[in-house]
Amino acid sequence: MMTKAQLFNLLSERQIPDGKTLFRPILMHFAARFSGKTYGQFASDYRTLVDYNLKAMDHFDLDLVGLISDPYRETSAFGAKVSFPDEAVPVCKEIIVNSIKDIKKLKNPDVYKGERTLDRINGAELFQKELKGEVPVIGWIEGPLAEACDLAGISNMLMYLMADPDFCHMLMDKCVITAKDFAKAQIEAGCQIIGMGDAICSQIDAYTYDTYVKNRHKEIIDYIHECGGKVKLHICGNITHHLPSISELNVDILDLDYQVDLDEAYDVVGPDVIRCGNINPVLVEERSAQEIYEASKMLVNKEKGRKFILSAGCEITVNTKPENLMAMRNASIF
Amino acid sequence: MEELFEKIAHCVEFGKINLASPYPPDMKGQEGADELTKKAIDEGADPDDVLKKGLVVGMEKIGVKFRENKVFVPQVLMSAKAMSTAMEHLKPFFVSGHVKRKGVFVIGTVAGDLHDIGKNLVAMMVEGSGFEVVDLGTDVNSQKFVDAVKQNPGCFVGLSALLTTTMVNMEKIVSDIKAEIPGTKVLIGGAPVSDDFRQKINADFYSPDPQGAVDYLNTVVV
Repeated sequence: MMTKAQLFNLLSERQIPDGKTLFRPILMHFAARFSGKTYGQFASDYRTLVDYNLKAMDHFDLDLVGLISDPYRETSAFGAKVSFPDEAVPVCKEIIVNSIKDIKKLKNPDVYKGERTLDRINGAELFQKELKGEVPVIGWIEGPLAEACDLAGISNMLMYLMADPDFCHMLMDKCVITAKDFAKAQIEAGCQIIGMGDAICSQIDAYTYDTYVKNRHKEIIDYIHECGGKVKLHICGNITHHLPSISELNVDILDLDYQVDLDEAYDVVGPDVIRCGNINPVLVEERSAQEIYEASKMLVNKEKGRKFILSAGCEITVNTKPENLMAMRNASIF
Repeated sequence: MEELFEKIAHCVEFGKINLASPYPPDMKGQEGADELTKKAIDEGADPDDVLKKGLVVGMEKIGVKFRENKVFVPQVLMSAKAMSTAMEHLKPFFVSGHVKRKGVFVIGTVAGDLHDIGKNLVAMMVEGSGFEVVDLGTDVNSQKFVDAVKQNPGCFVGLSALLTTTMVNMEKIVSDIKAEIPGTKVLIGGAPVSDDFRQKINADFYSPDPQGAVDYLNTVVV
């Protein structure tokens, strides 16, 4: 019997596995709750994160596992304070970059010394110890615009994109350095895939993406490939307007939120990219298991013969009924 | 004067804040909403006209473009910044009562949710259409909303949530507001929210975009 890692490698090489469509939803708060613990514990301790991911993998027969937890690993390493409410996304209220002077002072962290970056690296090692390379592990980094927003504030950064190119280029260049360092460390610790989250990109126009982000995404993706990893790009929301640019990034897996038409994405990014998605997570929470099964089945049937991983458009919500997630798994087995 | 109002509207629509602002590039070195609004007031324009024929028109145009995906969040933020900078010149006339607001709009991101970008966009657009906005910030619980509504009789209320985990908190807030101050109109919005959800929690209006909220408020304001 093939391991999950072998199945993923087959899919990557465009030999679509018989018998099932791979299944890997983004699990964070849900995984914590499912295992009877808090999101705060999940995000602040790699042992807890790995343990809950493994429990969810066993229960739902997931084909990949991941280290995603929250957006503030790198921000914390850059020096911002992060707190961990029990039942909410970790909180970072501090804006540590307010001027070009601040950017000049900003030091790229040693990811092995930052408490939260090291925690994720340790998580990658623990996954490898537990899974022995038989299940692909997805590490995680913040994309350069998302990280710049975390450091400078979202509204501020989006206005800087319009009015202060120097600020943006300087800050995002620093973010790229840390993204590459963090990706490399996670690959060396055992991750086969690095997820890059750059959610805010769906909120900017194509010209601005091409001006500030595209080449930086490409640089990070090329670097991860050089390090021996594959790349999964995750941008929440509607990214239809970015698909032509994304098609030039050489990304391996493209997460697509429910607003994006999978067929249109296939036409634009081509058959070599694994598209991952894209049932609306609100529906996964609210609808019955039967409805989720039917929606998933329809998607799986439509995607047969193409490189595709079944998932929700974004994170599975904490209040989702476990049977709904199981319905997605069942629908992806032929 | 009409030409000046048109220029002000143009500056707001395209996010030209002031002379020093390098954005948009094709207006570099030109006066922005800040200087032109001051000029209009100094030349004796009716401040109410400056608001309604200049600032409101510009914000309406950018709101429609945003709804139609012709512009994105950064462009709207620049417009809102231009509008709010110009609005500083009108503040004394609001205080004196020379310029009247259409009403008061209380807005906040609901309890448990710290995201403010959607809430800010709606607040800016609503303010730009002539309402006074009371921004309660993020992570706002039911009692704070109720208190704000009591302090602003006849106001409208906007609830924002980005997360599916926090949108459920809207239900209690709507219920508490309606119980304590019956007849209050409550609008909801945010990425996971839908009109189905609005009906379920008995809110009055849902819009997927800020301009929808503005349009609704303009239809219900007396």
